[in-house]
Amino acid sequence: MKKLAFHTMILAFCCGMISSAFAQQQQEITCFESRKGASEVVKRDLQPGWPNVKCSPKTGAVLWWGDPFDGTVPMGDMPLLGNVAPGKAVVKPRSEKLAILPMCATACHNGVGPAFNPPTLPKDKKPKPIPTMVGLLPDAQNLQHGRGRIWCLDCHHTTQRNKLVDNFGDPVSIDQPQLLCGKCHGDKMRDWRDGIHGKRIGEWASTGKKRWFTCTECHNPHNVQDGARNRGFVQIAPESPPQLPKGMKDAKYERVHGIAH
Amino acid sequence: MGAAALMTMSDDAKAATEWAEHFQGNYRLMTPEEKAEARTRLERRYSAEYGKKVTVDGTEAQPGVLMGYALNVRKCIGCRRCVKACVEENNQSRGKNPGERIEWIQVLRMERGEFATDKMNHGYPEGLGIQVGGNAYTPAGQVLEGQYRYEPEAVPEKDATYMPIACMQCEKPPCVKVCPVRTTYREADGPVVIDYNWCIGCRMCMSACPYWARRINLTNPVLPKEEMNPVTHYLGNRPRMRGVVEKCHWCLQRTRKGRYPACVEVCPVGARKFGNLLDPESEVSLILARKNVFRLKAELNTFPKFFYFYD
Ligand code: SF4
Ligand code: SF4
Repeated sequence: MKKLAFHTMILAFCCGMISSAFAQQQQEITCFESRKGASEVVKRDLQPGWPNVKCSPKTGAVLWWGDPFDGTVPMGDMPLLGNVAPGKAVVKPRSEKLAILPMCATACHNGVGPAFNPPTLPKDKKPKPIPTMVGLLPDAQNLQHGRGRIWCLDCHHTTQRNKLVDNFGDPVSIDQPQLLCGKCHGDKMRDWRDGIHGKRIGEWASTGKKRWFTCTECHNPHNVQDGARNRGFVQIAPESPPQLPKGMKDAKYERVHGIAH
Repeated sequence: MGAAALMTMSDDAKAATEWAEHFQGNYRLMTPEEKAEARTRLERRYSAEYGKKVTVDGTEAQPGVLMGYALNVRKCIGCRRCVKACVEENNQSRGKNPGERIEWIQVLRMERGEFATDKMNHGYPEGLGIQVGGNAYTPAGQVLEGQYRYEPEAVPEKDATYMPIACMQCEKPPCVKVCPVRTTYREADGPVVIDYNWCIGCRMCMSACPYWARRINLTNPVLPKEEMNPVTHYLGNRPRMRGVVEKCHWCLQRTRKGRYPACVEVCPVGARKFGNLLDPESEVSLILARKNVFRLKAELNTFPKFFYFYD
């Protein structure tokens, strides 16, 4: 009798273990690094008890990196970056986050076709709304960047649509948007290069290894002038406020009760 | 069985370390051997208490380093991620009851203000409660009491700007001057630190600090085992006890190992910059050279190494 109970216990215990392991597998935590919807990472353990990221339970934002260089590759050559030793500047490739990118240059814009050699493009530089394109990239439909002064092919390469374009018409990798953005935003580019604008994580020494966040990791180039934005960013949900002092019911307390003076 | 063993060990480790800690001196005056011994003692105690391998580092200041910090007030959007990242990194108490939730960074919210004609005769801006009159007394640029507990749906708000504050790591720190037991002091590479074991909890430093930077553990700190950060520094983020004061130390456990502070890494707008003031190529040095910079309450001659700037 006792033995049976013991066995049942063991069985129950094992089942419990399995189901809890199962539950853990199912419960995958995804949070975002910089821009929601464009920089998602899945939480996992780098070592037992040492996660790659810690996420905010309120907003789903990454709050802490266990390894700042997780998933990064060396940043491509950039002009005037001669003083950064090789391998010290790394980036997380944007191309991996853009699911449709591999298709762009093969499926529709494959660089061949009657209209492309030499390219004949609409004179008014107004893109024709194609339902497939609009469906894939709703942001681009009402392009606000440049307030009507620029259009798709000022930034995207004419025949290689999975690439951006530099001042000479040569293709630029989508992982190096700074080479494109810096064409107009030179002052920001200079500050970014020197670590004053934008964000880096890793080692603080000027000679240290850093993960650089590239332009499009924080800014959505298609809706930079989003109506709700302020200071270049769309509004985001804040983290929770600090605890109220004992006895204070709400943040409006002083407004209601006045301040002793 | 395993848990039981751990628990007995915990009792042992706790009792033994507490006994030894009673005879421990001021960390700054200890010999390197005594310091190492104190740290090993704490490692044992914390490892048992939190059920995982906890390290207590003692890396000293490196010569040629003077840490500095710069914050772009124009960029800050008031999202408070820095506040929460700091809590994740630095093992602050995170309970529910009054006094159990400690945050070192405060994000102040300031009114943008509005000088509309219909406000011409409004003499008492909400919340200020002082005798004023006329449009010029709009609360633009002032921190209204209680307003750093703002909680809108989304930030930045149209009518507000934000200004995060924490310990300014003053070069002439008033908190150090007032501490009766000299447990808080300036380290050679800049940060002002606290030996929590030597702190008597008198809170003199809290009233001396002009930047509202210091917090006291009025209650036993609430720090769940699974959330505890096991990589600690003696003068940094090691778990604190009831009755001691704590504050920002520029993530000493990270920065002494070369890594950026947690708040610098998390800020989504890149408003926070950290580096070596003695290195002309560092981010902070370049900001000091190129941008418009100010120190908070500079008139108090505390000489913060935390600078605000805007582009
Ligand atoms: S800001 Fe306050 S706690 Fe920090 S060094 Fe200055 S006086 Fe001390
Ligand atoms: S994380 Fe950056 S933007 Fe957000 S409140 Fe802190 S300093 Fe401001």
